[in-house]
Amino acid sequence: MDHIAELAGKDSLSRRYFMEMSAKLSLGVGLSVPFLPRNLKAEGGTAKNLIYIYLSGGMTHLDTFDAKKNSGVMGNTELLDTPVDKMKMGMHMKELAKQADKLAVINSMSSTQGAHEQGQYIMRTGYEKRATIVHPTVGPWAATLLGESGRVLPDSVVVGQSSSNAGFMEPRLSPLPIADPSGGVPNTDLAVAGDRFDRRMEMASKLGQQFVSKFKYSGPESYVEYYNQANKLLKSDELSAFDISGESNASDYGTGRLGQGCLLARRLVENGVRVVEVISGGWDMHVDVSTGTANKLPELDKAVATLLKDLESKGLLETTLVAIGTEFGRTPDINMNAGRDHYPAAYSCVLAGGGIKGGTVYGATDGSGKKVKSDPVTPEDFLATIGYGLGLPLEETVYSPTQRPFTFADKGKPVTKLFGA
Amino acid sequence: MKSIKTSLKTLSALSLALCFFASSAEARTWTSTDGKPLQAIFLGIEGDSYKFKMPNGKEIAVPKERFIKADQEAAERLNRIGDDSYTKASARKIDALLAAGLKKEGFSSFNEPLPDDLFVRRVYLDITGRIPTREEFKEFADSARADKREALIDELLLSRGFASHMFNYFADMYRLHASDFNNGVRMDPYVNWWRDQLEANTPYHELIHEMITAEGNVGQNPAAGFLLRDTGMEFDAFANFGQVMLGIDVSCAQCHDHPFDEWTQSDFYEMAAFFGNTQRSLGYRPSSAMMGGASIEMPNAPEGWRNQFMKWAENTKGIVPRDQNSNEFRFFVGALGWNVTDNEGLETILPHDFRGSGGKPNEVANPRTLIGDAAKKGGKTRREAIAEWLIGPNNPRFALVIANRMWERAFGRAHLIPVNDFSDDMIRGSAQPDVLKFITSEMKRVNYDLREFMRILYNTRAYQSIATAEEPDWAEKYFFEGPVLRRMRAEQAWDSMMVLAHGSEIDEKQGPDGSFYKKILNIDFQTASNDDVWEHYEMWQSARGSRMGMAMISEEEGGSMSPTIFSDSELRASELPQPAPAASMLDTFGQSDRRITDEHNFDGSVPQVLALMNGTVTTRLTGLSSKVVDDMEEFDGPDDKVRGIFHTLLNRFPTREELDLGMGMIEDYGDDGISDLAWALMNSPEFLFIQ
Repeated sequence: MDHIAELAGKDSLSRRYFMEMSAKLSLGVGLSVPFLPRNLKAEGGTAKNLIYIYLSGGMTHLDTFDAKKNSGVMGNTELLDTPVDKMKMGMHMKELAKQADKLAVINSMSSTQGAHEQGQYIMRTGYEKRATIVHPTVGPWAATLLGESGRVLPDSVVVGQSSSNAGFMEPRLSPLPIADPSGGVPNTDLAVAGDRFDRRMEMASKLGQQFVSKFKYSGPESYVEYYNQANKLLKSDELSAFDISGESNASDYGTGRLGQGCLLARRLVENGVRVVEVISGGWDMHVDVSTGTANKLPELDKAVATLLKDLESKGLLETTLVAIGTEFGRTPDINMNAGRDHYPAAYSCVLAGGGIKGGTVYGATDGSGKKVKSDPVTPEDFLATIGYGLGLPLEETVYSPTQRPFTFADKGKPVTKLFGA
Repeated sequence: MKSIKTSLKTLSALSLALCFFASSAEARTWTSTDGKPLQAIFLGIEGDSYKFKMPNGKEIAVPKERFIKADQEAAERLNRIGDDSYTKASARKIDALLAAGLKKEGFSSFNEPLPDDLFVRRVYLDITGRIPTREEFKEFADSARADKREALIDELLLSRGFASHMFNYFADMYRLHASDFNNGVRMDPYVNWWRDQLEANTPYHELIHEMITAEGNVGQNPAAGFLLRDTGMEFDAFANFGQVMLGIDVSCAQCHDHPFDEWTQSDFYEMAAFFGNTQRSLGYRPSSAMMGGASIEMPNAPEGWRNQFMKWAENTKGIVPRDQNSNEFRFFVGALGWNVTDNEGLETILPHDFRGSGGKPNEVANPRTLIGDAAKKGGKTRREAIAEWLIGPNNPRFALVIANRMWERAFGRAHLIPVNDFSDDMIRGSAQPDVLKFITSEMKRVNYDLREFMRILYNTRAYQSIATAEEPDWAEKYFFEGPVLRRMRAEQAWDSMMVLAHGSEIDEKQGPDGSFYKKILNIDFQTASNDDVWEHYEMWQSARGSRMGMAMISEEEGGSMSPTIFSDSELRASELPQPAPAASMLDTFGQSDRRITDEHNFDGSVPQVLALMNGTVTTRLTGLSSKVVDDMEEFDGPDDKVRGIFHTLLNRFPTREELDLGMGMIEDYGDDGISDLAWALMNSPEFLFIQ
C-alpha cells in the first residue's frame, strides 16, 4: 500500500496506472476502457449543457406524464391528449402537451429508495447514499470528466439550494449555490461605497503581503486567488448572468421559484455555464393531492414550456439537455386524506433537447400506474442517459482520495434509443 | 460495565505508580523562602499547607508561606490541574526523540522558538478554539511570570473553551447530527452527552466502551445514539467504526476483498458480526444480509407492553389505529422504541453475491477480530467482547489512533495520514517511529486523559516553534521541526468572530441542550403506568407544537420547558444545533455536514470571501458601531488605535510599516479609517490562519 500511495502522490498518470494495476492484480479484472485523456468527449449525445429540473418530494406520475384512462386511480385529474398519440398527460400540463414533439417521456422509472433523502440522493448522484462517502452530483462529474473551463463564471450552479458540495471531488468543483433565483449570488452588494471598497481591498492586500510571502503554502495563496476572483466577479459584467431582473419575458416563466429558477438557468446556459440544477420543493402531496397539483402543476407546465420555447428560439435547444427528475412517484390509490403517498415502484421522468428524439414515450406501467410493464429504467440508468447526452465517458474510472474507484452513474445503462433525429 | 471501568482504573493506577517510582528524579524542584530546594511531586493544597510526595514515597505537608512567590503561584495552578513533573518530563522526552530523528535526517534542530505574541494567539486557537481578546493578549504580553507559558496552557486546558473546541473535533469525527432522523426521532441527548463528557474530561476509552455497549433509547441512555446514528446502515456503521477507532478503512471489503490491504470480504463480515445481533430501533427490519426472528419490543419493557399500551390509548384516549390524525402518537411510540438492544435471534449473514475468499454466500458470519489476539467472548455479549478487545491490551491500534489524532490537533499534521486509514506498513515506515511509539504508550500511561495528553504536547519545544515555512507534501515524510501552518477550522473562525462581537463572555453562554427531549423519552417501562407514559406524550405534543421545535428546548429547573433559548444564533459553534444549517457561516467555511467522518473542509471558496467582504457578520464586526471599532475609543493617538486593532484581530504587534499604513488611514478618514483597517485585517489571509 505505501509504495503505491507514494507513487500515487506524484502525478495522476502514474497514480492511475498503479490503481489500474492493483485493481487488475487483486480483483482479476482489467478496466475495459483504455486510457482516455481529459477533454476528449466519449461517444454519445450532442449536448453541451444540462438543465436538470429536480422536483423534490416526489412528483405524482399519474397526474402528470403517465395519465390513465382508468378513472379509479386518477382522482380529480382528467386525461389530456397530446399531439403525440401515445403520450397522455394530466389536465394541468396544457402548455407542455403542445410541445409533446420535443419531449421524451420515461414512464417506466422505478427505484428501491422510498425515503426522500435517499431517493433524491440517488437521482442526483447516481449512487446509493452511504455513510462512508459522499458522491458528487452531475456538475463536478462533468468538470472532472470533460475538463474545467477556467472562466470567471462557475462551471456548474445549483438553483434553489443554499449550499452544495463536490462530494469526494475537489471542493472547488462544487456547484455555486443560488438559494433564491431572484436574489443572485449572495453577498455581492458592496457593504461600502465603491471607492472606499477599493481602498479597503488595497489595504487588505498590502497588509496581507508579508504573511503570504512568509509561508510557501497553497492555503494563503488560494485565498489571495479567491479574493481576486471575487473582486473580479463583483466588478465583472458576468455577474449580470445571475441577474434576471432585466428579462423581458420573465412573467412567461411564472413568478414562483421554479419559473424564475428556469429563467435563471436559461440565462446561465446562455452565458456558458455547463450544468445547472434547478431544485423545486413542494411535491410531497400526502394530503389533498388535487389542490396540490392545481397549485404546482401549472407552475411546472408554464416554466418548462417557456424554457423549451426560449431555448429553441435562441438556437440553444439542440445543445442543451433539459431533464425533469424526481425521487419517486405517488401511490395510484388516493389515501384517506385525499392525498397520495410515496411510490418508488413506478414513476416518470422527462428529457428534452440536447439530441433527444422528441415525441417519444419510453417504457410503460400497467393500466393503473402501479407496476412497470416494459423497459424498466433505474435512477442509475436515468443519470447514465443524462451523462450519455452530455458525452461523458461513462466507463472512465475516477478515484476518490481514499482510492475507491467510481464511474459516472454507477454502471447505469444509458437509454440510447431516446437520442437521434 | 462497572467491572470493566473499575478494572481499568486499577490497572492504570498501577502503571502510574510504577512510572512514578521509576522516574521520580524528574520531580519538580520547589524553593523555600530561605533558598532551600525540595524535589517532590505536588499532591495538592490542604488548608494552609502544600502536600508533597517525596522520592522515597513518603507524604509530607509544608506550610504555604515557606515557599517563594513563584512557587505559590505554581501551586495554585497545579492544584487545579495536577502536578506537571511527568508532563514536562514526557514533553522533554518527545523533544529529545524528535531532535534525534531530525538530526539523523540532517536537520540541525527545531524551527526558531515561537515569540510570545504568536504563542498566545496559537494556544488560544489550538486549546480553546478562538482568538484571544485584546485584554487576554495584553495580559499575557505584559506578564513577567517566568512560568507564564505553562501557566497559560494550564489555564486554557481548564477552561470551557477547551471542551468546546474538543467537541467540534469529535462532532466531526463521530458525525454528530441531531436533527430529525425519522418522524421526530432526534439525537440531541446524545449530542449533549458528548458535550458533558468532554467538559468532565472523561477518559476517552471509557466513552468508547460506553457507546459501544449502550442499550436503550437516547432518553434512557444518551450514549445509545452512537449506534442509533446509523440505523438502517449497519455495515456502513461498522465501516465507520473501523475508520475512527482502528484507523482502517474497510469499506471496500464490504463488497469484495480489499484491493490493497490484507482485508478480505469475510474478514469484514466476521468483524461486523460483533454487531450482528445488535438490534437498532423498534419496528425496523434489519438489512437483508441479516436474518432472524426478531421479537420487537420496547427497551427494557415487560413482554407485550407496547401492544397493551396501544390498546389502552385506543380505548381511553381516542387514538385511532392507522388514522393520520393519530400519526403524532405513533411517532411518539416510535421514538420511544428507537433503541439499541441485543437480539439473539439476529445474525450477520454473508451477502448473496459474496465473492470473497473464506466463506460462501448466505453463510452465517461468526464474530472474529483480525488484528491482535481474538476477542474473548466468555459470558459477555458480543458488544461487550468487542468493546473490551478494542480498548484492551491486545489491540495494537486503539491508543495509536487517538494519540496520532491528538498529535495532529497540536501540530497540524499527523504521523500517519490520513488519520482514519493507514496500513501497518505506514506505521513501520513513519518519519519519527520512536515518537509515535512513545506517544502511544503515553496515551496509555495517562489513561486516555486527553487533557493531560494535550498538556504534554503543548509543553514541547517542538510545538512552541514557529510554523514550518514551506508546506510539506503529504506524500513525503515530515520530521516535525515545528507545527505546520493551518487554516482555522470553520468553528475556530466562527468562535473568533463571536469573541470579537461579544468578548470572552461568549464562552459561558449556553445553547439548547436537548434535555426536554431526553426527559420525554426517558421512561422506566417496568414501573411507569400508562397514564405516566401518556403524560410524556403530552410533553411530546407540546414540544412538537412549539414554534422552536424539539431541538431548541431545554428543560428548566422544576421540569417546565423553556422555548426562549436560541432567540439568536450568536453562540459558540459547539452550543449551536449540530450541524449548523446549510449556507450558514459555519457551513460556508467548511463545517462537516456530518454525513461521513472527518469531513471538515479547510479550503477557501468564492462564497467564503464574499461573506467576509460584504456579509452581515463583517459589518457587525468591523462597522462603526461594532465592539471592535467602539473599543478603540479608549485610545487617543492614531498609533495606539492601530496597535489596538492589530492586538484585537491578529493578536500581534504591527510592524513599523503596518503602523504607518494604519495611521495614514486613520488620519485621512477618522473613525471610518479604523473601521476600514479592521475590515482589511479581517480580509487579509492572516486572520484565517494559525501560524
